[in-house]
Amino acid sequence: MSRANLRLSHASNEAVVFFWNGRPLQGRQGESLASALLANGIRTLAWSRKSHRPLGYSGSYVAGVLARVNGVPNVRLDLLPVSSGARVEMQNCWPSPAFDALRLSRLIPASWIQGGFEHTNLVPSGSALFQRWEALLAFLAGVAKPAERAGQVAVPAARYLSADVLVIGGGPAGCAAANEAAAAGRSVVLVTRGQTLARYAQAAGQACPTLDARVQVVTGAEVFGAYREGELLLAAPHDPAQGALALEADEVILASGRRACPPVVPGMWLPGVMEVRSALIMAHAHAVAPGARVVVVGNGDQEAVAKRLRELGVNVVAARPVADLRRVVGYGQVRAALFAGSVACDAVVHAGPWLSEASLSFQSRAEGLLQLREQRQSRLRAVGSAAEADQALPVAPRSRHKALLCPCFDVSCQEVEDLIAQGITDLEVIKRLTSCGMGPCQGQPCWDALRALVSARTGIALSALPRPTLRPPRRALSVAQAAGLADVVEPLQ
Amino acid sequence: MNDVKALPDKAEIIIVGAGIQGLSLAFNLAELGVRDILVLDAGYWQGGASGRNGTLIRGAFSSPEWTRFFAHSCHLWQGLSKRLGENVMYSRRGYTMVGERSATAALLDRTLEVHKTCGINSSLLTSAQLREVLPALAHERVSAALHLPDSGVAPHHAAMYAYRKACEARGVAIHYRTEVTAIDRSAGRVSGVRVGELRIACDTLVLAGGAESNRLAQLAGVPLDGYPMRLEAMALEPMRPLIGPAVALLDRLCYMHQTARGEVVGGAEVAERPQSTLNADVPVMAATARAYLEMFPQLGHARILRQWAGLVHISKDFGPLLGAHQDLPGLFVSAGWCYGHAGAPAAGELLARAIVSGEVDERMRPFAVDRFERSQPVVEPGIVLSHFE
Repeated sequence: MSRANLRLSHASNEAVVFFWNGRPLQGRQGESLASALLANGIRTLAWSRKSHRPLGYSGSYVAGVLARVNGVPNVRLDLLPVSSGARVEMQNCWPSPAFDALRLSRLIPASWIQGGFEHTNLVPSGSALFQRWEALLAFLAGVAKPAERAGQVAVPAARYLSADVLVIGGGPAGCAAANEAAAAGRSVVLVTRGQTLARYAQAAGQACPTLDARVQVVTGAEVFGAYREGELLLAAPHDPAQGALALEADEVILASGRRACPPVVPGMWLPGVMEVRSALIMAHAHAVAPGARVVVVGNGDQEAVAKRLRELGVNVVAARPVADLRRVVGYGQVRAALFAGSVACDAVVHAGPWLSEASLSFQSRAEGLLQLREQRQSRLRAVGSAAEADQALPVAPRSRHKALLCPCFDVSCQEVEDLIAQGITDLEVIKRLTSCGMGPCQGQPCWDALRALVSARTGIALSALPRPTLRPPRRALSVAQAAGLADVVEPLQ
Repeated sequence: MNDVKALPDKAEIIIVGAGIQGLSLAFNLAELGVRDILVLDAGYWQGGASGRNGTLIRGAFSSPEWTRFFAHSCHLWQGLSKRLGENVMYSRRGYTMVGERSATAALLDRTLEVHKTCGINSSLLTSAQLREVLPALAHERVSAALHLPDSGVAPHHAAMYAYRKACEARGVAIHYRTEVTAIDRSAGRVSGVRVGELRIACDTLVLAGGAESNRLAQLAGVPLDGYPMRLEAMALEPMRPLIGPAVALLDRLCYMHQTARGEVVGGAEVAERPQSTLNADVPVMAATARAYLEMFPQLGHARILRQWAGLVHISKDFGPLLGAHQDLPGLFVSAGWCYGHAGAPAAGELLARAIVSGEVDERMRPFAVDRFERSQPVVEPGIVLSHFE
């Protein structure tokens, strides 16, 4: 592995020592654990569930940034600032990260593990071996050791917040909407994921808005679910020691922007491929480059992103339209991006195709006794880029190179194409047969990729392929945080 | 597995509802030699309660009626992979009923007596035994624990796959996304169903429509006890095995287990006005989380992947409504299921026999559709459910 220095010139000089699999590493103040590991040349942070493909910090697939931190399993390394003495351990290894026998799983033929190991008749229940076989599957699928037993976990008290206006998202559009409402004399609560406002806008070099002092701001919290026809929204701080939030407002403004969704192209799951928002925020706020040789692809934004990355000190070797990308080449990490010709690189940043976050609007509109469909008028008013139409996801033609739809669960395009050949095009059914999207990201972005693939292969319009139900809380909420909600949300009487 | 097939104009038996009840019945009818079985479902495969349940297989309860029925079903689950020719992944990992209050310990004592008279393999665990079976439990909170070693769990997606495959291999026609819009009767008995404009004739019709049961009974013009009710569950992020058996936390109306995929799946009931929606809400998630946190402290830091709701059909006594409908010859019912996943193998077998030979098995008889009219409800105190007062 190349040990090129990925720390950019504006990196902090304040060093912090933390431990990766017991080995001391140097982080810098301001980095997240994920970016600190990348700065140390460590791209593989986790392994996919079945085939043990390496996964890294992608900004798209949460499974790639989950590790054990100070004895707590499945902590998101991209959300946790590096801190002195933090013990970070790789999961899904046996017996140890240094000697990991499970990596041999990558040699298992894909047909054996389709649909999760379940549909195999190799060891049927009722046979003498089954309980032991099931225990082995449970061990393999479990990925992470449970937390250490250390007495009762405290329940952080949940908070109830109500206002005339709730704004979700702290970017320029969210701030503008909040300012407008505050100026009109309305009470406003603004909730943003970032620890500060407008992280992405700042990272992209855009003007940073000033927020009206009357707006009540909650930072570092994810609004993860809309309930009761969108009348009640829940948020959870990234810090599990802080209580969840129940939010009610007369008007809800969705200003959560858009995310770049990986196109359905072979190799997009490889460590080194990164969503543009994560890449820009990392380069700007953490002062870590996505790679030593970076290729940018986009839906028209690629030149601007490349320019901004270069301003931040990143070595961008090419900027191309995402539709021209045929394949990302590599076995354990990115080696090249293949267009009409090949461009050697160790990172691919994709700026688009752009899709808005669908969960909250889905949940506030969903209705139906046989299947939840977006039928109701949404209470949520989208502003800014969240209001723009989703862009089409390019789907590479069938080839011998395997494209993955759902890297965490190792669901390939081929597996879905086999089902389509049997006449199965219902996404809810495909989800149940393949487990696509049932991992930590709960279908985002995998179900968008699944929809695009089914549409491309069958000719069925996207509008006729409703998404599988987007279920909260998508791991935003811990058990302890959820327990605190019992005190602030009454059952319907 | 293709959903787009032409519908016939007649069938020997039509089953409305292709959840696990409908499919188990169709399979058993086919095994008894019935040809020409048609199963119609308005939703998608696994879209109803058969794809949303907690997957627990509990082979004994606190009443002899429930215990005899579900013990038989549990026995059938154990051999089901062989019978269906597909792996249903029935995991005989045991089922532990945990009590915290002293009144619950007394209920478990009485339950054990019932199990003895019914010949059930069960035992009250000593504190040391419980530590062995459930080391992660907060033992200081426990007043008593009753363990059923033969019970366990079976993932619903594997069971639904196996039943569907076995049915199709036997020539059963299954149509999803096909809604029955009317039920025809002539000369005082069932004569067919309508799917929109299309009429499909049959002499025997079975309603196995889960939460849609009352609406279907209305189409047939007959009364049916019960109402649809939302139940909710949630799944935690996977972890390596921590909780061995299936668990019912009786005092919290909470059931849970850790799946073969490592997720802890379960739900706790809260007192709320019955809801008829597939949208999930907050209180059940919060109550479930509190139950996990207090009873399994190591789950406190775990993250919740997803929560969801399913609709079941709840009868007055929570028991199934199983058998011929007294008011309309040719009409049979399999409804009222809140433990329908566990009960499906037995229900399918016994109802198929009742339909084909007219013989009503003793284990099925207490759950007759007209029992409330005869003022003979089945009292079962050991279930993890309650009516809203």
